[in-house]
Amino acid sequence: MEWIFYTLAFLIATAISGTAVYALYWSSQHGQLRDFERGATSIFDDQEPVGRMTDHFPVPRRKS
Amino acid sequence: MASASSLAASLNPGTPPDTGSRAELSEIDASARWPVIVFLLSALAWLLIGTVFAIISSIKLHTPEFLGGYEWLTFGRARTAHLNAVVYGWSTNIAFAVAFWLMARLSRARLRHAGLLVIAACFWNLGVTLGVIGILAGDSTSIEWLEMPPYATPLLFVAYALVGVWAVITFRFRRTEHIYVSQWYLLAALFWFPWLYSIAQIMLIFEPARGTVQALVNWWFAHNVLGLWFTPIGLAAAYYFIPKVLGKPIHSYYLSVLGFWSLAIFYNWAGVHHLIGGPVPAWVISAGVAASLMMVIPVVVTGINHHLTMVGSFGALRYSPTLRFVVFGAVNYTLVSLTGSAMAIRSVNEITHFTHFTVGHAHQGMYAFFTMVMFGSVYYILPRILLKEWPSASLIRTHFWAVAIGVTLYWVDLEIGGWIQGLQMNNPGIPFIEVVRNTMPYLFVRSLAGILMTIGHVAFAVNIVWMLGARRPAGATAPTLFHNPPAVPAR
Repeated sequence: MEWIFYTLAFLIATAISGTAVYALYWSSQHGQLRDFERGATSIFDDQEPVGRMTDHFPVPRRKS
Repeated sequence: MASASSLAASLNPGTPPDTGSRAELSEIDASARWPVIVFLLSALAWLLIGTVFAIISSIKLHTPEFLGGYEWLTFGRARTAHLNAVVYGWSTNIAFAVAFWLMARLSRARLRHAGLLVIAACFWNLGVTLGVIGILAGDSTSIEWLEMPPYATPLLFVAYALVGVWAVITFRFRRTEHIYVSQWYLLAALFWFPWLYSIAQIMLIFEPARGTVQALVNWWFAHNVLGLWFTPIGLAAAYYFIPKVLGKPIHSYYLSVLGFWSLAIFYNWAGVHHLIGGPVPAWVISAGVAASLMMVIPVVVTGINHHLTMVGSFGALRYSPTLRFVVFGAVNYTLVSLTGSAMAIRSVNEITHFTHFTVGHAHQGMYAFFTMVMFGSVYYILPRILLKEWPSASLIRTHFWAVAIGVTLYWVDLEIGGWIQGLQMNNPGIPFIEVVRNTMPYLFVRSLAGILMTIGHVAFAVNIVWMLGARRPAGATAPTLFHNPPAVPAR
């Protein structure tokens, strides 16, 4: 009977890797693996462009 | 907050997902406010509770009579309560908070159905509270990483189902063509965690597998919680915040994509290396060892990529709290993963198994890597959703140095102590009690490290509560709040 559990455990583990392989196939079909240069800059935009740091330690507010 | 009809519309496959334009960053941040705050405050409470149990358990190891009169605080219960409070309380709550904000930002879409997530937070925290109380009351299941009693776990299922539905909806309504690498990590984590958790619950608690298969499923689950849940969330945050804070794209996007797919395909098999020397078929262990060594690929690739992105910009670490914490975490990701792969080699494992080395290694992974990245993320996210700055830079610095020194002391101390302990345990000439006595100095240092980390956690908590109570300055706008940023050198 032990082998049923081993087989089950093995199938579940294989299925998880299977989802990863399927997702990889999906991403290649949908152009996700092309033009890496553009992919890297996709988190920047006009509001937060490349070249501008977006985090600093807080500094005391000047009284105006 | 979304109405029932719009939730139905979101779930209806007939609804065209590509309507509307990309949302403004400030609009996205505002839409994520409530779920992020609820999950963050829950996480913070659990961090403090977990820290108390950590200190109690640590002191008990070298001073066993400490609080010895309370059966609900015996080592077995206090240590287990610590693990569950920090893994399911702190780490999972903060992972949710960071993942929701990141998903909304990366999808360039307002966070929909915030109410769904707030309900999920209630269920999740009720479940964890019940679970930790159950453990203290003596109802632990005694299965590692799944100690919560069966009456608590269904609440976690409900919470997760809501989060899962939300993740699918958000992904479907994304406004971006390209799926950034962080989004892949988040999707993978949100998709795999319920799978792992439900299979482990069914095969270990509700309909337990027999014999050694129990141990096999247990370690498949426990290791994958780290590798397929916390690691992807931590890396998603690192891949977003390092380039975002620096204003500089990731060094090699190709490597980041390679790193993701190799982790996705190899990691799932690595967990059984915990059973080296155990009564499990040798081929199963060999598969686990092979997968653990294959993990060197994504780890080295990610390490090189983060390092090369930072090259030339290390000066920025002085100016950005987020970057400090995240880079500290990213460096530790590389170190802890390479140590982990080495520990899967049979001859190394013979020494490190059943010693404090493993405890040091686990804390380097869950704390020096994951928790530090999460701290960094909170320092970035909270000002943007509250439209307020952090009230105290000194508290941020105190937090960083206390936890950075604390956790480094912690893992270095236990890995040295654990290695010596392993060598001595393998020597039949040394009586066991002597081996135990020889670990004492290392256990004292561990408590000291714990106290340092506690100081950091208190500074973090005070800063957050202070910030929530502070008045919002007039005219504050997101996403960039800083009215007077210091000059930052370009290099």
